[in-house]
Amino acid sequence: MATGAGLYFDGASSARHAVTIETTPAFLSIAGADGSLIAEWPYAELRAQSAPDAVMRLRRAGGPELARLEIRDPALIADIDERADSLDRSGVVERRLRKRVVAWTVAATVSLVLVAIFGVPLLSDRIAPLIPLSVEHRLGVTIDAQVRAMLDDGRSGKPFECGGTDAGKAGRAALDTLVGKLEAAAGLPIPLKASVVRRRESNAVALPGGHIYVFEGLVSQSRSADELAGVIAHEIGHVAHRDGTRSLLEAAGLSFLFGVLLGDFTGGGLVVIAAKTVVQSAYSRDVESSADLYGVGLMARAGGDPRALAAILDRIAGAIEPGSKLTADHPQTKDRVTAINTAANRLPAPTSPLLSASEWDTLRGICG
Amino acid sequence: MNVAEAPVAAAPQTSVPVTQAVRFIGTPRAYWRLLFRGTARLAVTLGIYRFWFATDIRRFLWSNTEIAGETLEYSGTATELLIGFLIAIAVLVPLNLILFIAALSLGPVGQFASTLTFPLLFFLGQFAIFRARRYRLTRTIYRGVRCHQDGSAIRYAICASFWWILIVLTLGLAYPFAQSRLERFKMRHTYFGNLQGRFEGSGWRLFFRGLVMWLVVVGPLLFALTYAIAGVDWDKVSAAAATSDGGTDFFKKIETAFPDVYGAIGILIGAVFFSMLMAVVLFPVFQAMVLRWWISGLRLGTLTIRSQLRTGLIYGAYLRFLWYALLFSTAMSIVGVIAYYAMNAALAGLGKPELVEAVNAAGGVISYVVVMLGYSAIYQGTVRFAFWQGGMESIQLEGTAVLDAVKAEGGPSSAVGEGLADALNVGGF
Repeated sequence: MATGAGLYFDGASSARHAVTIETTPAFLSIAGADGSLIAEWPYAELRAQSAPDAVMRLRRAGGPELARLEIRDPALIADIDERADSLDRSGVVERRLRKRVVAWTVAATVSLVLVAIFGVPLLSDRIAPLIPLSVEHRLGVTIDAQVRAMLDDGRSGKPFECGGTDAGKAGRAALDTLVGKLEAAAGLPIPLKASVVRRRESNAVALPGGHIYVFEGLVSQSRSADELAGVIAHEIGHVAHRDGTRSLLEAAGLSFLFGVLLGDFTGGGLVVIAAKTVVQSAYSRDVESSADLYGVGLMARAGGDPRALAAILDRIAGAIEPGSKLTADHPQTKDRVTAINTAANRLPAPTSPLLSASEWDTLRGICG
Repeated sequence: MNVAEAPVAAAPQTSVPVTQAVRFIGTPRAYWRLLFRGTARLAVTLGIYRFWFATDIRRFLWSNTEIAGETLEYSGTATELLIGFLIAIAVLVPLNLILFIAALSLGPVGQFASTLTFPLLFFLGQFAIFRARRYRLTRTIYRGVRCHQDGSAIRYAICASFWWILIVLTLGLAYPFAQSRLERFKMRHTYFGNLQGRFEGSGWRLFFRGLVMWLVVVGPLLFALTYAIAGVDWDKVSAAAATSDGGTDFFKKIETAFPDVYGAIGILIGAVFFSMLMAVVLFPVFQAMVLRWWISGLRLGTLTIRSQLRTGLIYGAYLRFLWYALLFSTAMSIVGVIAYYAMNAALAGLGKPELVEAVNAAGGVISYVVVMLGYSAIYQGTVRFAFWQGGMESIQLEGTAVLDAVKAEGGPSSAVGEGLADALNVGGF
């Protein structure tokens, strides 16, 4: 049995009561300065409250919610800690509990990350074909505005889309002829909207809803209409496979998953992020090669040269330009070129170029 | 005698005793230990551990703050925060989904939804700030008496949104008045037991104290703007833009129209740079000034609170932050480069380019997480800690006798506000 001094707050007022505390076998006895008994707290009901290291701050589980007993006497603290199983002065119980919390949150995190890496792409593969075309079209319009804002640096001081001038209008007509032949051969459920835009990179992007942006740099890098058509056929492959919608779903799924996890809901610019994903995403190799194979088949059906895509890919990869997405984000160009040529070898030889020499010249002037 | 003691010694002796009654008894060492352990666990749990981390930090700060001989007690638990967050998610997920879908739809609905998203989330954030404050107050116990807060969070959110719009419109000039009004609202609804709080800080006083700083920072920007509007013939610029066919050509045309174009651009860049530099240099001064003003305006019944916070203390904290951040960045860069090459060398022999790519991507994400969490821990260990410790220890109390006879009042509130604040990223301590 030990006795010592302490401070008692009754939980009804802030008055400070200097008390004498005695450890009896079954409970803590708290007596006032005049010796009168204030309270008796059973050991089993003692709970430790947060306090500075040198202080033991107690409450009674059943007692007045805010009544507090504060003890600074080390010997008395040790004695009470010894007697009350509910107290955990050394923090062993708390540490064990914390370890379990950490272990299970790590487990939860691992499973969430695995879902993010494997589950989300799998899920978007399944969901993308189920999205109605009308929804995809609407999605495309919204994404389109974002992508345009991102791609259009406005440096030239001219309209972002080529084909406004007289020469441009003729070029636009030639482009429409070219795309029309491919579209007829492709037989897509949604209409295509292809246009040439003022960007210097040799690249092209396909958005959900059938938008295809061909960069000015690609037109000038192409040596024939079939080469340009090859790249457009590849992009039509993305449209046919609904790759844009799929990566959009992936991005949305990921932001949602990590938004919940990290507690960040202010990332309201989901559309922006999604648009970025569409443009900048490193499309996986499978997605690219299946678009390649689609493009090869489409070129053959349209009567063009299925090898043209391999030729322009090879050339662009040789002269790596900064920021060129078609090559930079598309690894193993050599493998792709080989795969395209192998597939093309099994197909009939081209009948004639997709555009006549004069039509091709006109198309090249689309940004004039 | 150091600078901090000078005003105390010079203060006139009144009938009410002035006491340096607030002490912070926690050691920075213990705080850093908490930060390190918590941050490491945040990293491996991608942030889920934050409820436990925040609770540990608050327990430490509260229980080591001693006011008139008694320390504060933080009685909140991590489970409460977790539940609050889950409730907030239950509210916010459908709301976000609706906003997202509405933003995707065409025409005026989509336009309206996109423009509405930010104001709505901002309003919700202010609502959350007030409710989170209520949670923290009701978990603050001192001498067996609870603090609490009444008042409508919606009214607070309306007032706060109004004042923030005004702050933006006046380029910050309305800030002192906003602070004094909002603080009045908060303190009027704050209680320690039956002792009601109030706020007596004057908006005009803060305005005049901060005006010089405002002029130094915003002045050059205004000058640059006026100069650009008045000094430049915009018709000629647009004419040049309309007739040129490229970037270089545009600049050539501008050059012929305005021979001194580069001087003007130099003045503009110089003004903006000067303004930014001043903003960085003066930011600690501003924060110390606002903190001093804020503490000195707090009242609790007849208890008067004053602060003699030294600006140098806040400066020191920021400099320490920069120094530690620099050391940390250097160390991380060295470790990162070594790890990168070691990993690539180890994986190169396997001949699996996809694996190398995946490992590099994962490495990038991990180093980003580690670096960001590291900065956050350093910030909390230096700046946040200095604000708490420095702010508390700068306090002088008059009339502490009133603290001896406070009647208990008020009950605990839910942690939904904390959850919302967490989900919306507007949380404080």
